[in-house]
Amino acid sequence: MRFRFRALPAATGGLLTPRPVIDIALEGLEAAPMGCLLDSGALRTRMSAELAPLAGIELAGTLTERFYLGGLETVGSFARVNLTVTDGAEQFTWEAPVWFCDPWPHPFGLAGLEGFLQYFIVTIRAYNEYLDVEPNPEPQNA
Amino acid sequence: MTTMTISGHTYDLDPRRVEQALGGELPEPIYEHFVVINGRRWPPKQVLALVTGLDRADFTTHQARRALTRLGFTAARAARRKNHYTSGSAAARVESADARSGAPGQQSAEALRPFIGQWVAVHGDEVLVAADSPKEIVSWLARHQQKAQSVFRVPESEQFIGGAAPQ
Repeated sequence: MRFRFRALPAATGGLLTPRPVIDIALEGLEAAPMGCLLDSGALRTRMSAELAPLAGIELAGTLTERFYLGGLETVGSFARVNLTVTDGAEQFTWEAPVWFCDPWPHPFGLAGLEGFLQYFIVTIRAYNEYLDVEPNPEPQNA
Repeated sequence: MTTMTISGHTYDLDPRRVEQALGGELPEPIYEHFVVINGRRWPPKQVLALVTGLDRADFTTHQARRALTRLGFTAARAARRKNHYTSGSAAARVESADARSGAPGQQSAEALRPFIGQWVAVHGDEVLVAADSPKEIVSWLARHQQKAQSVFRVPESEQFIGGAAPQ
């Protein structure tokens, strides 16, 4: 599956630097795949906690962790959920650990090691501004 | 102020009144015709129904379009959306990837420009809907049986993207 880097407008005119963004659909929210910034430096896969109730994901009583992201204290709640990624021609669904975070003022979710990268072989062509994502035939037990 | 008769009723309309009538509303899906108001695309019949209180069955798209262009709003016909889901070929993948975020990207970025700071649902280069929260976006998609390719908040600056990366 191939994804072009996301082109974004700059408020001051022109464009921001295009970023590697992958659209990941939560089970129950297939009509609204969430843009997630690919982040090889992030341990977790994180999304806004606002999305959990929209997808019918129960977070009460789940494992939580408190952490700082971009200088902002955030609480992440753990859930194992089914995720789907598609480029329009192919699609892949897997069950993964996702941390639903509150607050989450960021424009994208984060596709990190646990939850995303452990399930895929990702080739980043930054110069050409696209990335190829293929399911890993030997996914780790994440 | 422009006086016009629609479905047997006479209205005194002006552009500001139209813009005010759309406050708090989200545009419905664009199937063919649209008018541009406050930097967004709106179905003409939705706009005229909100402004006049008339039932949409009481007038046609062309009547709505004509009324709104008389008030100075731009009207146009939307390009047909490509189908990205029918082929598994490599060519289809490339086309799909191009359409997904735009190649070379300028077009899709420009389509997002009016919505900086807002949540959007996009399909190819088209912004389906923009709103203040993902909940509104999801609700709109469900209500109108639309499927987005991507939902995200259009960042205000590089810092807003980098803010999510480990420090």
